[in-house]
Amino acid sequence: MIFNNTALPILILLVPAVASITFKWGNIKLATAISGIIEIFLSLLLYIDKPAQGVFFIDNISVLFIFMVTSIYFISSLYSIKYFSQHDIYISDDLYFLLLNLFTISMLFTLEINNFGLMWVGIESTTISSALLIITERNETSLEAAWRYIIIVSAGVTFAFISIILIYYVTGTLTTSTLINSSFKSKFLVLAVAISLMGFGTKSGVFPVHTWLPDAHSEAPSPVSAMFSGVLLPVALYVIYRIYEIYPLKTVYVWIATLSIVMAAIFLIYQDKYKRMFAYSTMENMNIALIGFALGGPGIVGALILLLSHSFSKAGAFYSSGNILRLTKSKKIDDVNGLYKNSPITAIALLFSSFGASGTPPFGSFFGEIIIFFSLYQQHFLVPFILVIISVISVFISINFNVTKMTFENGKNNSKIDRTMEIIALISSIVPLAIGGYILILMGGLV
Amino acid sequence: MNMIQSIIFLIASMVAISGFYIQGIEFIIANIRGQSIQSILIAVLSFIMGFLERSLDLIILGIMVVILRVILINYFLERTIPKKRKFSVEKYLSVPYLLIVDLIFIVLSVILIYKFVFSSMILRESIAPSNILVFPLITFFQGMFLIASRKSTHTQIIGYVEEENAMILFGIFLLPIPLIIEASIFLDVLALVVISSIIVLEKSEHNPVEDLIG
Repeated sequence: MIFNNTALPILILLVPAVASITFKWGNIKLATAISGIIEIFLSLLLYIDKPAQGVFFIDNISVLFIFMVTSIYFISSLYSIKYFSQHDIYISDDLYFLLLNLFTISMLFTLEINNFGLMWVGIESTTISSALLIITERNETSLEAAWRYIIIVSAGVTFAFISIILIYYVTGTLTTSTLINSSFKSKFLVLAVAISLMGFGTKSGVFPVHTWLPDAHSEAPSPVSAMFSGVLLPVALYVIYRIYEIYPLKTVYVWIATLSIVMAAIFLIYQDKYKRMFAYSTMENMNIALIGFALGGPGIVGALILLLSHSFSKAGAFYSSGNILRLTKSKKIDDVNGLYKNSPITAIALLFSSFGASGTPPFGSFFGEIIIFFSLYQQHFLVPFILVIISVISVFISINFNVTKMTFENGKNNSKIDRTMEIIALISSIVPLAIGGYILILMGGLV
Repeated sequence: MNMIQSIIFLIASMVAISGFYIQGIEFIIANIRGQSIQSILIAVLSFIMGFLERSLDLIILGIMVVILRVILINYFLERTIPKKRKFSVEKYLSVPYLLIVDLIFIVLSVILIYKFVFSSMILRESIAPSNILVFPLITFFQGMFLIASRKSTHTQIIGYVEEENAMILFGIFLLPIPLIIEASIFLDVLALVVISSIIVLEKSEHNPVEDLIG
């Protein structure tokens, strides 16, 4: 063991905090990017050197989530440096990066802490630190979107607090590691687990409490949308899963997630704005992962592959959206055409990230989804299985039809996109392909 | 029910009644102060229970409610109302109509939830019958209804704080959660109100926006 029990998790929380302090000397952009690299390194170290349970509870699942958060934090900080050098910004650059760091710290805190009460605090803190990020490009619509985000998510998370009180009432403890290894039986625990799905589900895109999601994703600047879609929603999903472990309500979770996927597929059919389209795709992916977690066993593996792959592909999709917005000054799908001619790198990034987000083979998300669908079938959830398959096909067609139209339809635009921003989007969208390739190699080894 | 239990019951019922007061008033400043009164009542309950059960945690909780909810939240929200708009009202409101809908919504939800879920809960001796849980439930749904029924940013924040107040009350009656967690929650809510008050300055009312439909 290189570090003692708590040093490494504390260090992971401290590095972005230290980067934030440079706020005073005006180097926060660079400090945030460096902090991102260090954080990725530390999260990998955490995999090798997991601390014993105590103040923190870190297992392989939380390590993967921490890796996702640190990676998207790093890429988003790089993208933000370029993005805001070309966009009007309402809050100062320094304040933006300060909030980005605080947002990351609150997510990492939620993933590391060994207490459900403090997890709740962490989730609420993510709202506080990220709300102002939505209004970075201040306008009437973004103010309304930020307000909807604050009020809907806060009201939902407050509802989730009932589940925390009930857990404490029944068990007398809120320690995560104790509770998930216990076998308490009570109807109030059933209620707590059900309430947590609707309460924390507000933040992770569960129908019908998802309504802030398309608004915030479409109005936030692209690097913030990438953080929301790629890691914020999965962090909320992580809390739901941890509470679910106390008293699994498999049928309820599978059915609610199925309903959410069906609804996301319906909403996607008539979307005319590309950022809202990707937001609903996030809702679909989160709920497929929720089914995986609820099914357990291989389902969890599928959910983790899906979430890891989704975080990069959706980050790529939102970075590409930011580039397109720069090119066309419009969020409407119909206003974007001839992307491949005008900006081939962004076009490829958009195509790849859409394939990744919609579970196209051989992207990582495809394998994740296949494992989950197989588990669903194997555990005799036949109706949800059929509904989910139909919805996934519908989502695939909706997204890729629009993206193909944006990419290959004739059109001319003379604006230019910054090359660094294009490359960041491209790298993000290629990672899920690499994940898929790695899985194929592993499968080859097994055969 | 002995006398102390009756007093606790009475104060808890006043918390719920303060929720109806907030719902029925159209002056924004009166709404903010209504929230302060509600928080004072919760602090008083926390003090009484703290002395009864010799629990320092409950007494500290009461002090936190006074400082953070009664004083600071009130201060931050009132500061966002310009002096000349001290008597601003939500003009479009039809108070009698809202109160009737509110009453139907609250009575139905609380009766159903209490009857099927919470009636079998066993509370601590000092609190006695579990039907006291009806009051935090009423307060919670009041907060929810306030958010749903109003367009003003201020009133929606009050609705959110009211929901949080209900959670404190719920915790006090069931089993107070550890103080460190409670303190973090208080600070979180305060920070959220501060952030919200920034938005209040930019946008004081909320109506459907075409770009956010669908």
